[in-house]
Amino acid sequence: MTPRERVDCRAAFDRLYEYLDGELTPEREAEVREHLDRCLGCLRLTEFETAYLRFLDARAASVRAPEALKKRVLRQLLFSENEESREQA
Amino acid sequence: MTSPDNRTMFEQEALPHLDAVYRVALRLAGNETQAEDLTQETMLKAFRAWHQFRPGTNVRAWLLTILRNTFINEYRKARRTAPEVDVHAVEPFTVFEDVQETDPEGRFFDQIVDDEILKAIDKLPEEFREALVLSDLEGLSYAEIAEVAGVPVGTVKSRIFRARQALQRQLYAYAVEMGYIRRRVGS
Repeated sequence: MTPRERVDCRAAFDRLYEYLDGELTPEREAEVREHLDRCLGCLRLTEFETAYLRFLDARAASVRAPEALKKRVLRQLLFSENEESREQA
Repeated sequence: MTSPDNRTMFEQEALPHLDAVYRVALRLAGNETQAEDLTQETMLKAFRAWHQFRPGTNVRAWLLTILRNTFINEYRKARRTAPEVDVHAVEPFTVFEDVQETDPEGRFFDQIVDDEILKAIDKLPEEFREALVLSDLEGLSYAEIAEVAGVPVGTVKSRIFRARQALQRQLYAYAVEMGYIRRRVGS
């Protein structure tokens, strides 16, 4: 177990996205949270970055595969399957 | 190798991820025709290798790994080289420092249309674009991205960090240009 460190603004910034992505160990996450509790500047930065990631997430699924491609893929699977069963026969 | 059961399994498990495969293919290949071919080839390879898939593991990450390898081996050379942004540039200020007085909640982001976001993503160098697309558009964890990209988790972390910051700067510059937000005087 790593001892809990007091992190400064620089260290909090370096871990910013790992913190928001939930990728930190519980100890490291607690260190960042402690810093945010006593540093208003970093807290506001974190809120801004949270909004940015939410915005990216909201736009994420805007592109979908064309229907014609879906049909092509399905046809291809069927064709590939028939081909293989012919080879095995 | 395959049987009707196999195909049913594949259709149930893998096909729902076709949109994700296509989206990543589009960002990797850079145009729709190539992305469609790449998607089709990926799905066919995945179907033929379906017996190698370990049930209970992440199907989407598995498909995206096949996609990535197919892209690198067969499609990468054909990608038109767009001008890339410098993800290592040391900026004198972060976007937040610039907007903290005028728009600390980042409302300007919402005014940016999808096409501009995608254009900005496409300007990121390949390995950074890949990390950002997999994390922010497809929601993969750092460990899953490391698996797909074949790099250590530490590399994924730094790529995501740089890619997000570089993308944010581009989007901010665009928002300023479009008049969605005023640049802070003196910067």
